[in-house]
Parts: sequence; structure tokens; C-alpha cells
Amino acid sequence: MTAVQERQEQPGKSAEEERLEAELRREKQRKWFWRILGYIVVLGVWELSSGWVLEENLLPGPIRIIQTFPEIVATGRFFSSFGATLTRIIVGFGIALILGSAIGLLTQIKWFENFFRDFQTVGLTSPGLVWALVGLIIWGFQPMGWIFPIVMVTFALVSVNIAEGVRSLPKDLIDMAKAFGTPQHRRQREIVIPHLAPFIFTAVRFGFSIGWKVTVLTEVFSSNEGIGFEMRVSSQLFQLDVFFTWVLSFFVFALFLEKVVLQYFERRFFHWRQEVSTA
Amino acid sequence: MTAVTEQVPKQQPPVKKDDDTGLVAFIKKPIVARLLFPTLFIALWLFVDGLEISKVFPAPDRVAQFMWDELRLETLARTNLYETLGLSLVRLFSGFAVSMVVGTAIGLGMGLSKSVDAFFHDWVMAILAMPALVWALFLGLVFGFGHTGPVLATILAGIPFVIINVREGVRNTPRDLFDMASAFGVPQNRMTRHLLIPSLMPFMFAAARYGFSVGWKGLVLAEVFASDRGMGWMIKFWYDAHRSFAVVGYAFFFVVFAFFLEKFVFDKIYERTFRWRPSAGAIELVEEEVEEHFIDALDPEGASTLPKQIRED
Repeated sequence: MTAVQERQEQPGKSAEEERLEAELRREKQRKWFWRILGYIVVLGVWELSSGWVLEENLLPGPIRIIQTFPEIVATGRFFSSFGATLTRIIVGFGIALILGSAIGLLTQIKWFENFFRDFQTVGLTSPGLVWALVGLIIWGFQPMGWIFPIVMVTFALVSVNIAEGVRSLPKDLIDMAKAFGTPQHRRQREIVIPHLAPFIFTAVRFGFSIGWKVTVLTEVFSSNEGIGFEMRVSSQLFQLDVFFTWVLSFFVFALFLEKVVLQYFERRFFHWRQEVSTA
Repeated sequence: MTAVTEQVPKQQPPVKKDDDTGLVAFIKKPIVARLLFPTLFIALWLFVDGLEISKVFPAPDRVAQFMWDELRLETLARTNLYETLGLSLVRLFSGFAVSMVVGTAIGLGMGLSKSVDAFFHDWVMAILAMPALVWALFLGLVFGFGHTGPVLATILAGIPFVIINVREGVRNTPRDLFDMASAFGVPQNRMTRHLLIPSLMPFMFAAARYGFSVGWKGLVLAEVFASDRGMGWMIKFWYDAHRSFAVVGYAFFFVVFAFFLEKFVFDKIYERTFRWRPSAGAIELVEEEVEEHFIDALDPEGASTLPKQIRED
């Protein structure tokens, strides 16, 4: 009976599906048309405004920036600058990640949630500039001078994300584990951490997106290499084409790391988990 | 064995009550836990200061003295604390107002039409991901020192958050309720008032909150490079004057200001706006939504790991 029904529905559905598919395709085409139009309009306005609205020295157009790119690569500082900035991000954000995760995990206990609440609020709400200057004036050009602001700006984001995961912990599983007398460290390793893993990944991605900005900011004040340093020098020399080329090349690189590399690892890591990888 | 473990939780509540008078119970109080953090911080600060490692280390008493002097209008700087904060707030509010109005318009367009969404989406994301530092340096060179640079930086920093939240709000309007309202012949203006605005409210609130706080961060940075006064410029001024206690003192003003905004402005507005919602539980639910939304606004493509998140693309 059901088999017959299914067979009867099959041809009708396929026609319907075809119609739907065609509509979807048309919609996709329309979407791409507008998307490309958006690119053309924005880049066109940008290119035309340089020279018309603002002087070309003040607002270099996209073509000029693409032309400048080989020039800054030719200076030889391109890769070392990227390397310097990346090292800072990895060190500073790595420490923030450890600290933030520890705080996030501790918020499983209500007392610690209260204990760290204001610290997190401070970390989330205070501008990075403040920490950059405070770190610098206390530690000067020592590593702590740039580690401190990166940690202060990113740890709260990490811990808040992990705390969000903590709040959604499967209580029934933990209760069951407790009922069966599973020791604390095994409960943490086999229930809490696997449940928190996607939240940790999300925290890494958000933290990174904020972290690289703060890193560049600290370099503006306290470094003699790195992207921030190049930005400061070129803006002081009024070379806005060089300035934008540095900024945009690192911007693209950071977005690539964030959206492609980190997301790729995330997907690979969670491909066994249906609800996470398909969500 | 199992009988014993079962008995233990049953016995715990009375034991806790007995402890209420002891020191342990005192420390266990939530308010004590909250106050313990700043206390420990100050204790650590005093301890490190007592070690006398370096001469530039900001001593707590000098920081306190500086802050007290600033509050009493005794300052070496060109403008006192209140003038500085007032000027920054005027800039912040004008920039915030523009980004709310323009952002809401674009966000509504993006939420209602897929073509408009496709047109703007990538560029909104690009502006969202652009560091405020870039705007600060660039606008400083273009407009020189004045109001234009900082206000524009505030707008550029805040507007993507507004756009994304409003767009998401429009997408999440309850369609079945709209269908029902039109079936019962409810007039358009009542539909807008009773359906669209209430359902947009949490998203508008999230937009305002994050637009405001991100705008503030952008403004402070722009004031360093594109202005010669304002809160951001002032902390840089003390940094350039090499007064570590003044930098730390000003940092505390920033922290206090942020706290004030969080606890006394946003939380109060929030309570007022959502007073009509039935229970305290509902408010918590919305808060979660807002929080998630913040995360979503930060990185809409990447929010896929959050279990509740439903992404269309």
C-alpha cells in the first residue's frame, strides 16, 4: 500500500522538483548577478573617487593598490613582517586561549562564574587601545608589553564562548556518570571536553578575528617590524598607497586564515558529528 | 555501596544550612565571590608595588591620587575629565545615531530582498572585519584633526553590526502571525506596531548595544590619530607624557565608564523595553538570543558550530 503510494508520488514529485530546481537556479543566478554588481559598483566608486572626490595621494584606487603590491614584496620586508605579526598573534592569542579556556571551564562552578564575571565584562567592554597603552607604559618594549593587551582583549571572548557551552552541558549524561561513580577527571575528559569542543573552535575563530586587530594595534605603538609598524611608517610618510597595500594584503591573509583554514580544520575535526558538521 | 552514595546528597542540604554562619559559607556567597576578584587584584597590585621592581610601575596611591585630582578638575591637561568625556560622548552619539539610521535602512533592505542582500553582503562583511585602526589612521590623514574623522570612524565601526542584526531580525519575523493578521483584516499600521516592531525589538536592541560598544572602541582609537582632544587622545597624552600612573588612572576611567554603560544604561533600557514579556525566564531566553546574535554578528558565516544556529547559506 505504502509502496504503491510512493511510486505514485514519485513522478509527480520529480516534476515538482524540476520546477523547484529551475527556480532555485534562477534565484542563484539572480543572487550572483547582484553580488557581482555589488563588487563592480563598490570598486568602481572607489576607483572613481580617487582623483575626483579625494586626491589620488589620499585615496589610492584599487588598481593603484594592486600595482603597489609587487613593490612592497620587492622591499624584502613583506614575509618577515607577516612572520613577525603572526608570531605575536600566535604567542599572545595562545596565552589568551589557555587563560580563557581555563576561566570558561571553571565557570562550571557557580562560585567561579561570579568571581570572574566582572573581569570578563571589563575584558569585553574596554577598548584595546587602553590595554595597549597600559601594557606599554608598564612593560615597555618587553614581550609582556604586547602580550598583555592581546590577552586582555581576547581572553573574555574565549571564556564567554566556552561558558556558553558549559551552560548547555548535557546534565543528564553528567548525572548518569555521577550515578555510576565515574571520577571527576574522566567526566571532564569524556563528557565535558567533547561537548565543549565545537564551542572551543568557535572561540578560537572569534578570538582570532579580534586578536589580529589588537596585535596590529600594539605594533603601531611598540614595534620595529610587523604589519602595524609598516602601517605606522607609511601613514607617517603620507604614502597611503603603501599603507593600504599593507593593510589589505594582511586583511585578506587574516580572512583567509579565519574563514578558510580554521573552518577547514573545524569541519575535518567534526565531520563525525552529524549535527555540527551539517548545521 | 550505592545506598551510601544515594544517601549523601540527601544529607547535604541540612549540612549547608549549618554552614551558613561559618567563613566558608560567607565566601560562598555570590556577592562575596564577585567582590573577591577586585579585592585580590588590588592586593596583588599592592604586593607587586611593594617589590619595587621598576620606577615606572604605577603605584596604587599615585593612581588613586591622580584619579581623585581628575575628578576634582585639577589636571595638567588642556581639558578636564568632564569636558573630555562630554566631547567624546557627543561624537559617539552623533556617530551612533547615523549608524543606527543608515544601518537600519540597509538592514531592512537586506532582510526584505535577496537581491539587496547579495549586493551588500560581502562589503558589509569586509567593513566588519576591517580593524578600526585602519579607519583611524586613514581618516586622520584625510580630514585632519577635528570632529569629522572620529565621527566617521564611529559610524564605520558600528554600522556593520546594526546592518547584520536588523537583517537577521527581519528574517526572523513570525510569518504565521503576519498571515493570521492579514487573514483577520488587521490594518497595516496596527500590524507594524503590534507585530513587526515587537519582533524586531530584541534585534534592534542587540544592534544598538553592539553598535554602541564597538563604535566606542572605534572612536577612542580614532581620537588618538585623527583628533587633538577626547578620551582616546587624553590617554595617549598621558602616555606621551610618560606618566604611567596617569595612563593606568585613565584606563580605570574607561573601565568604570564601560561598566556604567553595561549595568546602568543597557540593562535598564533592556528591562524597560522587555517589561511586557511575561516571565523572568523569557527574558533570559532573549538574552541568550542576543548573546548568540552578537557571536553571529561577529562572524555570521562561522556561527555554524553553535547548535541552535540555522544558516540559510
